[in-house]
Amino acid sequence: MKRRVLALTAIGVAGVMSLTACGSSSSSSSGSSGGNVTIKLLAADYGTAGTSNSTQAYWQGLADTFHKSHPNITVQVQTIAWTNWAQVATMIQDKQYPDILEGDAPQQFAADGLLYKLTDIMSASTVSNLIPVFAKQEDGTDGVAYGAPFTTSARGLFYNKKLFAAAKIASPPQTWADIQNDAAKIKALGGGDIGYGLPLGPEEAQGESYLWMLGNGGGYVDSTGKYAINQAANVQTFQFLNTLVKAGGTEPGPASTNRQQMWDAFAAGQVGMVGGSGALIPDIVKNGKLTTSDYGVVPMPGKSAPLTQTLGVHDDVVGFKQGGHADQIKQFLDFVYSDQNQISFDQEYDLLPATTSASAALSAKDPVAAGFLKNVPNSVVYPSNTNWNTVLAKLKQTLGTAASDNASSVLNSLQNFATSNQ
Amino acid sequence: MTQSTQAGVLEPAPGSDGTPRPAARRVGGGRRVLRALAPLPWITPATALILFVVIWPVVSMFLTSRQHFDSMGFDQGSAGWSNFTKLFDEPDLPGVLVRTVIWVVAVVGLTILISLGVAQMFNKQFPGRKVARWALIAPWAASVVMTSIVFKWMLNPSNGTILVLMHDLGFMKDYNSVNWLSQQTPAFIWEIVVAIFVSVPFTTYALLAGLQAVPEDVYEACRLDGAGAVRTYWSITLPLLRPALLVAALINIMNVFNSFPIIYEMTGGGPGNQTSTTTLFMYNTQQTSIGEAAAMSVVNFGFIIVVVLFFLRASRWNTAED
Repeated sequence: MKRRVLALTAIGVAGVMSLTACGSSSSSSSGSSGGNVTIKLLAADYGTAGTSNSTQAYWQGLADTFHKSHPNITVQVQTIAWTNWAQVATMIQDKQYPDILEGDAPQQFAADGLLYKLTDIMSASTVSNLIPVFAKQEDGTDGVAYGAPFTTSARGLFYNKKLFAAAKIASPPQTWADIQNDAAKIKALGGGDIGYGLPLGPEEAQGESYLWMLGNGGGYVDSTGKYAINQAANVQTFQFLNTLVKAGGTEPGPASTNRQQMWDAFAAGQVGMVGGSGALIPDIVKNGKLTTSDYGVVPMPGKSAPLTQTLGVHDDVVGFKQGGHADQIKQFLDFVYSDQNQISFDQEYDLLPATTSASAALSAKDPVAAGFLKNVPNSVVYPSNTNWNTVLAKLKQTLGTAASDNASSVLNSLQNFATSNQ
Repeated sequence: MTQSTQAGVLEPAPGSDGTPRPAARRVGGGRRVLRALAPLPWITPATALILFVVIWPVVSMFLTSRQHFDSMGFDQGSAGWSNFTKLFDEPDLPGVLVRTVIWVVAVVGLTILISLGVAQMFNKQFPGRKVARWALIAPWAASVVMTSIVFKWMLNPSNGTILVLMHDLGFMKDYNSVNWLSQQTPAFIWEIVVAIFVSVPFTTYALLAGLQAVPEDVYEACRLDGAGAVRTYWSITLPLLRPALLVAALINIMNVFNSFPIIYEMTGGGPGNQTSTTTLFMYNTQQTSIGEAAAMSVVNFGFIIVVVLFFLRASRWNTAED
């Protein structure tokens, strides 16, 4: 497996090298003013590679437009599928640095001293336009931001109105007890449908769990930013999930069920309730089983009331300093973060903007996005501790078992792992 | 498993035939050196290849197990033996080790039992034997990953064919009420079933070759002495099958111990590490600590070395007895 990745990387590296060879005559004169410069952009593919939906097309479009207005800067675009994202770490280890990286850009890059400070690669007006709750998360351990949010998404509870009507449930759930009752009613229909889709498998156990933890005032860290995975509120949350799972209110075996499986099942009309983001909407459209009036989106229920905050997730843009192209990166990023370019990206992939002005503009013309955007400014985000990436990998693997095993012992061992692997 | 294809050519090493070469008499010093160097052009490529693809990764693995890597894979200096102490402190490790033993013993044992029967059958003349022999190649020829995914789909709680069958036959009331691959014991049993399914073809063919090598006149002598079927099998077939059996068992042990794709595709070792064997545990650990995963590899490597030594010993003992 690992060897195959390396081989692929080698091919990719060779490709990049041959490409840079073409531009080498121009980049050699990058120091002098007016010289032609090529900057490399490495980005995640949110669509399907090789189709018009590929993010390669979005970035190439931006790069071409940008090149027209800035003829001496060429942006070279490479996109990598999310499923191959580990390749990026391999490229960086092999010192194949891009100038700009968009996607999952962990704090570790900053801690390893590879990144420009945000203020070096983005003008002050763009920085101040970033949605504060996400921008703040980019701060390194030294309190300086090394990246910017690029695209965001927020979570809500999707429910299937057809199943709700069949089970004679009058209104969408607001509390955990509602979820429990509604799930039982949907299960009692006898069609083998799932009441609440609880994806605690390795794909995104951390997201689903976080939504539930928040409903009980819990979370991964305490108010001082120290890990508090085994706090009493979390234990209680997972004990509740235990009862929900045991009663058959969820799919069998949530710890092995991935988010995409539950989203697919929801899109196929077999799930009563599931936590989702805007990215679930294209799945529903593609499946064609549910029309827009067949499902609704409400805030995620909490223990006694719906969440007033939602889980906000974002992907980042960072600038690598090995290429020494801070000025060019800055010009390109200011262009990328214009409202128009932000919105066109988010409409293509049903995601949300990372800037305040683009959010306002998008809210005005897209009611579904507006529903999600309403909660974004006060959304809760994942911790930004330096070792979060390591802890995250462990969480994905084991957190789901807390919903069917002894919750407190699972959470205790995770807490122990988080604090001992600083 | 599929890798065993190449391994299948392994036969018990023939003993050195012990005919001494006539010593070169009275050759000049220069010529003697040349003589000694003569094989070099032939063995250098193979030696270089072994150094490059076998020895170097092993050395690198040992070095990695003593380094500290951060989550992005950057080397942060020596870790001493801390990767090993961390590994041995893992609460999941005892379970993983026990499961690995169960996995190897159950898969290899059952595979050999089943293969003994199938090979015996295939050694008899019956109509359609050719077709049956060909059909057995299918699970062997198919990619193990593919087989595992197909089994995973067949066990899907809402529309897997096995569950549809159970539902239609009335063994299960509602869909989505059972997910075997998310429960430790059923998931592990299914994985063992798949591992046996993909191991049986190779083992059967290895044993079939052994059966065909048993000379007919031994059986004839046996019949003349009035031995029954059970006695013949116990006293003639099994002992004469021992070389084939030994090779099949040892190759299977190594393959099954190292097997990754079945468990990876079906459960990923999960939930948690509840269905991981050491190979899967190594992979899952690598996501949080590369050094610790390398330490696990070193432990695995040690086990394989023991198996290989046993293999060499056993095959020598074998030839001695022939």
